[in-house]
Amino acid sequence: MKKWLTLITLFIAMCLQGVEVGAQQQQRFPKPEFESGYTQPVTTVPAARADFLAYLDILILIGALALISWLILKKRSRRGVTWVSVFSLLYFGFFRQGCVCSVGSLQNITLALFRPEYSIPLSALAFFVIPVVFTLFFGRTFCAGVCPFGALQDLILLRPLLLKKWLQKLLGLIPFLYLGLAILYAATATDFIICRYDPFIGIFRFDATFTMFIIGGIFLFVSLFVARPYCRFLCPYGVLLSWVSRVSKYHLTISPASCTQCRLCENACPVGAIQKPMTEKNMESRPTAVKRFMLLSFVLPAMVVLGGWTGANFHERLSAVNPKVQLAHELLAGKDNNSGEASDEVTAFRSSGKPVEELYSEAAGLVREFYWGGWILGGFIGLVFGLTLTGLSVFRYREEYSPHKGECVSCARCLAYCPVSVKDIKNR
Amino acid sequence: MDHSGKKTNRREFINKCYRYSVAVGVTGLVGGLTNKIVAKDTVWQLDPTKCTQCGKCATNCVMTPSAIKCIHVYDMCGYCDLCGGYFRPNSKELTTGAENQLCPTGAIKRKYVEDPFFQYEIDEELCIGCGICVKGCGAFGNGSLQLQVNHDLCKNCNQCTVATACPSNAFTRVPADEPYLFTGYKKQ
Amino acid sequence: MNNNSTTDNGRLRLWRGVALVAGVFSLVICSLVIANYIQLQRLDPVNTEVINSLVERLSDHPNDNELRTEIRELDLLARKAYFTNQWQIRFGGYLLLMGIAILMIALQMIRMGSKTDPEVPAGKPFNVLRYQQKTRRWVAISGIWLVLVTLAIAVVTHQEMENKFAKAAIASNAKSNMVIPGEKSSVSEETEQPQEVPAADAEVKVVEKKPEVSKATKEKEENNIIEEKKAVSKPVISKKVFDYPTKAMKVNYPSFRGPGGNGIAYQNNIPTQWDGASGKNILWKTSIPLHGYNSPVIWGDKVFLSGADANNREIYCFNRKTGKVVWTAKADNITDSPAKAPGVTDDTGHAAASVTTDGKRVCAIFSNGDVLAVDMKGKRVWARNLGVPSNHYGHSSSLVMVEDKLIVQYDHRKSAQVMALAVQTGETLWKTERKVKISWASPVVVGTTEGAEVLLSADPFIASYNASTGEELWKLDCMSGEVGPSVAYADGIVFALNEYASLVAIKAGPEPEILWEAEDYLSDVPSPVATEKYLFVATSYGLVVCYDAKTGEQYWEKEFDKGFYASPVLVDGKIYLLDRDGIMHIFKPDNKFVAVSDPSLGEKSVCTPAFSDGHIYIRAGKNLYCIGK
Repeated sequence: MKKWLTLITLFIAMCLQGVEVGAQQQQRFPKPEFESGYTQPVTTVPAARADFLAYLDILILIGALALISWLILKKRSRRGVTWVSVFSLLYFGFFRQGCVCSVGSLQNITLALFRPEYSIPLSALAFFVIPVVFTLFFGRTFCAGVCPFGALQDLILLRPLLLKKWLQKLLGLIPFLYLGLAILYAATATDFIICRYDPFIGIFRFDATFTMFIIGGIFLFVSLFVARPYCRFLCPYGVLLSWVSRVSKYHLTISPASCTQCRLCENACPVGAIQKPMTEKNMESRPTAVKRFMLLSFVLPAMVVLGGWTGANFHERLSAVNPKVQLAHELLAGKDNNSGEASDEVTAFRSSGKPVEELYSEAAGLVREFYWGGWILGGFIGLVFGLTLTGLSVFRYREEYSPHKGECVSCARCLAYCPVSVKDIKNR
Repeated sequence: MDHSGKKTNRREFINKCYRYSVAVGVTGLVGGLTNKIVAKDTVWQLDPTKCTQCGKCATNCVMTPSAIKCIHVYDMCGYCDLCGGYFRPNSKELTTGAENQLCPTGAIKRKYVEDPFFQYEIDEELCIGCGICVKGCGAFGNGSLQLQVNHDLCKNCNQCTVATACPSNAFTRVPADEPYLFTGYKKQ
Repeated sequence: MNNNSTTDNGRLRLWRGVALVAGVFSLVICSLVIANYIQLQRLDPVNTEVINSLVERLSDHPNDNELRTEIRELDLLARKAYFTNQWQIRFGGYLLLMGIAILMIALQMIRMGSKTDPEVPAGKPFNVLRYQQKTRRWVAISGIWLVLVTLAIAVVTHQEMENKFAKAAIASNAKSNMVIPGEKSSVSEETEQPQEVPAADAEVKVVEKKPEVSKATKEKEENNIIEEKKAVSKPVISKKVFDYPTKAMKVNYPSFRGPGGNGIAYQNNIPTQWDGASGKNILWKTSIPLHGYNSPVIWGDKVFLSGADANNREIYCFNRKTGKVVWTAKADNITDSPAKAPGVTDDTGHAAASVTTDGKRVCAIFSNGDVLAVDMKGKRVWARNLGVPSNHYGHSSSLVMVEDKLIVQYDHRKSAQVMALAVQTGETLWKTERKVKISWASPVVVGTTEGAEVLLSADPFIASYNASTGEELWKLDCMSGEVGPSVAYADGIVFALNEYASLVAIKAGPEPEILWEAEDYLSDVPSPVATEKYLFVATSYGLVVCYDAKTGEQYWEKEFDKGFYASPVLVDGKIYLLDRDGIMHIFKPDNKFVAVSDPSLGEKSVCTPAFSDGHIYIRAGKNLYCIGK
């Protein structure tokens, strides 16, 4: 850290030095000496947001997470969740305007891991790690009401339509794709696509491009009737949390005691995360199941390879998003054609005096990175599809109605449906 | 019942292993990044020496009007009568008439000081960060007008959209306690 | 119980009303905000074309007050619309947010109020097997679809990007490697074009030696011998170096920045001491009738200049010995000449381009595109208008002659071209279109193995044209901005620079290469001057820098109090550089700064001086000065 700080200060000092010489040179008209007693106005330099406020954000995040976990797991109170949601929406959403958020911090982490020159602000790391740690213990309580995106969608949910189970499963594959792409583009220092295509940030800021407003509006409208469309079918951070949540130590249970199988909660979950009991009689005959399982575990590696190969073939398209690759491409094309106006990028590059061959070799290196990135991304998608298929062929013995620990966002709506109440247990 | 108990035990054990590995992974991640963490927050800023005044600052910022504004470094200003940042190149009369003004929103206020000097002040409410005056002042004058991210207005987005659009890669993250990169400014 | 339900019903009705009102309100505000937003997207404050075109019209009719008020009103309206719109959207956004928040609260209240107790869902029990089967099918289908689409796009757009970049990197790397070490490049070039290198050497050596060696008149003979040597050595080389500038041109000072416009003059005995205040060594001073920033040119005992204002354009001939005006030639009654001169800035004026002469005729160009050729007695030979140049400062590129061709650089906004006019008749001999922005640089003509080459600097490229055909010999993209300085040429290397671009040294030839580049000190007005060894750059902010011509190594830099608009000229073994206060800085063309003297003229000047043996001619303000003993 010290090394970094010294480097940065050195860099700034160098900049200032170079600039001062430049300033002297460019002083074509020396500053006049005024005789009329004129006083020069002060150059306005508004200070940046104070450092301690970033720490305050982290403290508030921890506080909100602790509070909401307590409300969900101990108090079993949906109302409490609603109020925490309102607070998060107002503070992290409208006041802090959604930056830095945990969803986007994923990219900062990736960039810091893959690019040695990038250093990560403490707040970004904290926003990534703290929800993961809480999820490891208490399930996706972060999603329930601390994440401003989740809170926004949850608060405006009116009449949840339950999606067909198969459709839900299928759409649930999209976040994996999004996660893979986001990591690939962050790792190659191309772009932060999660931030760029964030549908709600424009609403928090009252300011966005027209298309982003439209997308945000559509998401909001859909979330009136379909619970949390962004969280379930797009959010890449949700993927990570759902993995962690699967093994969470104290996850929310629908019933405070043992389930009485009254079936009242069967349709209570707006995100369709309640699993029904699974008994032997529902299951397939053992031989067919085993046969399919064998087949699938054989096919799984093949799918990974197929996905990887496809991704590797697709790497040029993927890399075309990278600005450096674009610039190199434009320069190369310009050399062939030698016609038309040069774009701003080309002009700026030319005036920067950087040698062309350096850019070309950098671009070539990036395309290579994208080639391997394509393999990994494709392989990952193949693995996800394969595991989903495998998962759809096995049966887990289950006696109770229980939330799917990965999919459940701990919104605590189902709790009110359970006739077994904490009081009853205590009285007993 | 016995059978299922065994099963849940085994599942619980696997979960535990998994849980520990996640915990180890997170700790490893934090540990691996320790030497990369900057405790001080960083903010976006643009380096005026790299800036080509392409005009994208005005159109690409998530804020309307843009959080990038023209800052006037009075220390560098020559207080010229014929200001390259204020007047259109062909202006015949050096008056404040709209037909002579370079600034598309009339954000620069020209004020007589003493013969033959004029003070130029930027109304930040009106400035849209297009950099036209910056170009004019840099081409004909001292370069005392400079584009900078105004930290009162900047939302400090995780990924600055202007930075991605900037053709000359002039945007960098700088420490929040030294948030400006403009030149020629002497701190009082 | 009953009571309770009625109050519940009442409350529900209330919330329904609230929801309805809030919903309608939000809808109205929402549509208003969207309408406003679309309107705002259409407003572009940076490019209000109507206003811009009106302002352009105003600059043509500066006294049209109605137009002026119209512009002001329109501008105010446009700005008001832009900012009011923004304010409306912001305010509307807050209203909308409030409306939606109330609507949501009301809707949630209604939902809670009308909540029924949970029921056991009726209908068929959930069939896990069916579900799994169906999902498996869909997952498989979408997976296959994803792979196919991806592969299809990949195949269609496949272009071997990595190889292309790698090859391009190697190719451009090889290029620069070939140039930088020097040894390699000279070997390879010698095998390819064995004649060119020695040829260029021979020529520039002569050029170089002459001003350095010749300090006394008797040494003139020696120069002649060298001159002859060159003539003798030429036939030995298989490809001749074109003889330019000619001997007659070298004896005189026929154009801006000397013969060929390369910043090198061949006169001797140039004075180094004078003082304008006391009149020491000032032989005469004559006032020039009309204003102009062009520099004097000399042929025989005549000094030529031009001057112009918006209505009059004139060429003046002065007697070199006495300073008397010999004749004045007016450029009037020219066909196609516009009634009104185009708008120019005060620091350019209507006569910024210097005249040129070949000893038989004098040619001048003015801001409105008029070209006038007169004979040595001031009688018009021909005159024509080249079309009004669209140039926001004013045309400033000087003229130069090659044999019987008058070379005109005419790079303007609407059309950019370089052309040659017949000196005798004025008809266009050739014309070459150029894809460049406006350039204020003057053409430089040099003799190479290709013949006489016209070197031009403009945004975006430096280019060379065959002076007899107009054919583009080579070009290199490396320049940008509003190019003012002309190029300098020595030993086969072209030096070009511009403010906010860079200083480039280009190995001239069919495949031009950048030998080196520097960016520290750039000029926007004065042109550089080069010898075989050194390059001298003067800047408008008062810095003079010396570089190694071959490597770009910076030898020295020197800051002067006043900036330079006049270009340095190498003459008599010294460099003469006039600053804007009229002080001539005379120094040695060496790798250390050696000042010779700093005599002052006592009047501000932006014009490059002209030289004849023993004399300097300087245009300063309204006067023409002759300095000598």
